[in-house]
Amino acid sequence: MSSQVSLYSINSTLILDNEGKRIYAKYFKPPHGVLEDNSKLYNNDKNQKTFEKNLFAKTYKVGGDIILFENQVVVYKQYSDIIIYMIGGLEENESLLSTTLSGLTAALEIVLQNNIDQKSVQENYDLVALAIDETVDDGIILEYDPAVIASRVTNAPSQDIPSLKTIDLSEKGLLNAFQFARSKINEKLQQGL
Amino acid sequence: MSTLSYKKFEDIDSGSLPDKMTVFQDCLHAFNTSPVQAKRCRLLLSRLLRLLYLGDSFASQEATTLFFSISKLFQHKDSSLRQMVYLAIKELSVISEDVLMVTSSIMKDIQNGEAIYKPNAIRSLTRIVDASTVHATERLMKNCVVDRNPSITSATLVSSYHLLAVAKDVVKRWTNETQEAISATKTFPPQQFLTHENYGVNKLPSSTYVYQYHALGLLYHLRNHDKMALMKLINQLSNSNSPLRSPLAIVQLIRYIGQIIKDVPSYAQPLFPVLNNWLRNKSDMVELEAAKTILGISSFSSEQHLAAINCLQILLSVPRTVTRFAAVRILNKIAMKTPEKIVICNVELENLINDSNRSVSTYAITTLLKTGNSDNVDRLIKTILKFMNDISDEFKIVVIDAIRTLSLKFPEKYKTMLNFLNDCLRDDGGFVFKNAIVEALFDMIKFVPQSRDLALENLCEFIEDCEFTELAVRILHLLGNEGPKTTNPTLYIRHIYNRVVLENSIVRSSAVIALSKFALIGDESISKSIKILLSRCLNDVDDEVRDRAALSLKLITSFEELSSPDEKEKLKDFISPNTKYSLPVLEQKLSLYMQGDKESFIQSFDIKSVPTISDDEAKAYEFREKTRLLEEEANADVEQNKNRNTNGENNGYGAEDREESNQYIKNTVLQQQYSQELSAIPEFKNYGNLLHSSSVVELTEREIEFVVEVIKHVFEDHLVLQFNIENTLEESELNEVTVVSSPEADELYEEEFIMPIEKLKPQSKGTVYVSFTRPSGIELTSFTNTLSFISKEVDTTTGESFEGDEGFQDEYQIEELSLTPGDFIIPSFTGNFTHQWDELSKIEQSGVYNLSDSNDLQEIVQRLIRVLSMMPVDGSDIVTDSNSTTHVLKLFGKSILNSAKVACIIRLAANSSRGIMMKTQVRGEDEQLCEAIINGVA
Repeated sequence: MSSQVSLYSINSTLILDNEGKRIYAKYFKPPHGVLEDNSKLYNNDKNQKTFEKNLFAKTYKVGGDIILFENQVVVYKQYSDIIIYMIGGLEENESLLSTTLSGLTAALEIVLQNNIDQKSVQENYDLVALAIDETVDDGIILEYDPAVIASRVTNAPSQDIPSLKTIDLSEKGLLNAFQFARSKINEKLQQGL
Repeated sequence: MSTLSYKKFEDIDSGSLPDKMTVFQDCLHAFNTSPVQAKRCRLLLSRLLRLLYLGDSFASQEATTLFFSISKLFQHKDSSLRQMVYLAIKELSVISEDVLMVTSSIMKDIQNGEAIYKPNAIRSLTRIVDASTVHATERLMKNCVVDRNPSITSATLVSSYHLLAVAKDVVKRWTNETQEAISATKTFPPQQFLTHENYGVNKLPSSTYVYQYHALGLLYHLRNHDKMALMKLINQLSNSNSPLRSPLAIVQLIRYIGQIIKDVPSYAQPLFPVLNNWLRNKSDMVELEAAKTILGISSFSSEQHLAAINCLQILLSVPRTVTRFAAVRILNKIAMKTPEKIVICNVELENLINDSNRSVSTYAITTLLKTGNSDNVDRLIKTILKFMNDISDEFKIVVIDAIRTLSLKFPEKYKTMLNFLNDCLRDDGGFVFKNAIVEALFDMIKFVPQSRDLALENLCEFIEDCEFTELAVRILHLLGNEGPKTTNPTLYIRHIYNRVVLENSIVRSSAVIALSKFALIGDESISKSIKILLSRCLNDVDDEVRDRAALSLKLITSFEELSSPDEKEKLKDFISPNTKYSLPVLEQKLSLYMQGDKESFIQSFDIKSVPTISDDEAKAYEFREKTRLLEEEANADVEQNKNRNTNGENNGYGAEDREESNQYIKNTVLQQQYSQELSAIPEFKNYGNLLHSSSVVELTEREIEFVVEVIKHVFEDHLVLQFNIENTLEESELNEVTVVSSPEADELYEEEFIMPIEKLKPQSKGTVYVSFTRPSGIELTSFTNTLSFISKEVDTTTGESFEGDEGFQDEYQIEELSLTPGDFIIPSFTGNFTHQWDELSKIEQSGVYNLSDSNDLQEIVQRLIRVLSMMPVDGSDIVTDSNSTTHVLKLFGKSILNSAKVACIIRLAANSSRGIMMKTQVRGEDEQLCEAIINGVA
């Protein structure tokens, strides 16, 4: 498949902290196919880390939203202490990448209630992971409208039911207790008789 | 684990992450607990994913255990937990086994689950199924494609796209549903936007139509082979009432249009209005894609290209950085081939020089410089000089580099360039900046001979007040090499001796060496004064300076006393050597030597084993390298683009081109490697030195069952063809692989032996060598080649062939291979081609040809350079004006057999109806070689 007509347009999505350390890194590969140009980075942790380190050095605290780096187009957005990257092939439409990135970041702003920083990303990692998953599916852009991406991210369940088995207060638990009690009483009664 | 640390991580809002094993144990424990606690499990899943996204991986067994326990979470109905479960399944399915066990749970969700996690379920399903189980999902997938919810449709289409690689025939069954999806209008259900409180936008979209993009992408691959159906689709989607709403879908459609025009050039004109329409779209990405596509297709007329350039011109001044970047990048690419087209954008480009984004301003500068032609280059350089003070050092270097390449391109403009560089040299700047300027001046001295005196003078002035020792040393070295060749060497002697008086010991010692070189000119008075100057240095405080002065003095005196010219030459080599060692080979040899064990150190390193290269050769390599920069500029995308452009017209030409340029850098090392590989084979031991190895020639297409490449090795009396054969089949192995290669001129080239491959396993590579005796001169011929082998089927489980399978004999015709003149020539540089041409006037051959296979001058030029393996000189390898119908290519090289010089002037004239007329004139010291060129050039 030539890269020009393929839907696989995103090579990787990264979130790095203010020291260049990974917060989130996903290098995409078609789930069933073989990948072409990204292969040096896919599944090679060492190469990935060096790539991220060098990329960070090139982009951190340097103005701008786009850079060509190691034969890939990188669009990025900087927040107070993290940077979010969206990386595509050399021939990829830059504006398309940038639209996808801003879709993702705006969606994150919605689900994280306008607090995009290291702490909030780490504390709400589930929301972040889901948002990225709803934006890019193994390299294919799934959606780029921030509201739609955000609407597809579920919030965590509010409260767990206390897990002590003996005080199970759910309906079924009550019924169980009732039946247990009834059988016990029946037993006692029969013994008594 | 202590209770304490356990408690710490129980804090649900904590951002810190426990170690891998803790997470693993926690997950197993919690997921297997009944009833399922949704909130805790989602937190643990999120920790698990975080580990995976941070780069931690699990062993297959651990992953499988996790996967199994996660499947238990399907008991719980909470949709937010379920969504997380699907993400975890998706990520874990890559590393764990037995993933099929969750299929039924997922299928149930797709049928009856809630809308919020249904798309996630579909996307996970794709990772679970494989080619054999995908059939079971057919009905489900069809239903989901036509679902009214756009998210579900998108998820299904994207999943189908993933499945194309393994189950295209199954995916094909929902072609009609996919087609409908493109034109259908699907809207989000009303409860879509209730999950979060504030969506931050005023208007919530009722649909984003992104499913059109997915449907179109899928449909293209389903209909890929049917050009007519594709045209129908394009027509249907590109008219005024097209259902396409998503800009992504339009971008994709533009790419398909570009592709189909490349395949069938006659579609170009009918499709232009469509593309032209998209040059005025409200979305940047559509405009950019349309402009890029139009400019990438050479069959569009200049006016049509102009429309696209106008569009980009407007985009150059939008506030969005990414768009400006994309626009200037496309223009930069165009500037590479046809700079005159983008001159109209110069005003906008000049405004971008101070752009806040560095990449944008760099591109703007380099693009501007490329638009320079011999008419406007002076003005451009003046304009840029004005900006020089406003930009940072880093940028100045980019500019200097661009000027450097420009000066090689327009040697006649050397005065302007020198002035510019000289002005820069006087400005303040750090080492890297100054170094770039000095490098540029060095290049001009080397490759633009007429600029030498002026440039040397500039450098002399510079070292009078140079704070960087390293630069001073390099300049002194250059002065020592070039100074004696000038008309007025005494001028430089004064400058050099000043250094001896004023500088530190490092500079002083290099000045001493430089001085000694002037003594060789042969002028008595100069030699005398040099000796006086050197004897003064004998009293220097630094021992290195004293040593060098003493050595030089001794050499000079004995040089004068010697009478025999042979010995004089030898001595001369000590003072100013004509040849230098090939550094890459030296490095390789040394590292090999260092890797040896104790015993190998008994013998000292043999410097003679490192080939030396003469100055001319070194220059030739360097020049190629330098001019290549011009094409590469800030990145490699040009090359790729060039490849793509030419690919359609000429099979594999692009790939070969790239291979060649890559190879160029490693050429010497490669040659060395070949010669080592060959000498390791006993049969070739006594063949003597390897004279020349060709670049790799492909004899088959890249995508077929057996890929064959060949490398031609020329020895003194032998010719060895090295066939690299790759078996790309998965289920058969090849036995007794040979290549029957028969030369047309079989009386000249006699086959000696073939070294076959005994067994070529599936998906492996091997090498067949065929050796011929070679006549002493240069004889061109071509070889017809047939691949012959016994193929056996292989049991995929064991990887071995079935016992008792005798296989069947098969033959396979591959392309012809011709021995070209280039196989006997190495490129060589000359600073003064006209002079060489006049000198070689004794033997001249000429011929006129008509090349009908191509109309592109640049392409022909590249091909000629490759076929002849000669060095293009005077910048004649680039056809500067794309509209011109003529071009003169000048080539220079040396014979590998006797180092005879050979020069070529090739005049090309394009004639639209009859292809390209080519007149070739060859002059050289070896008549046979000239003849071979004339015969082999077309």
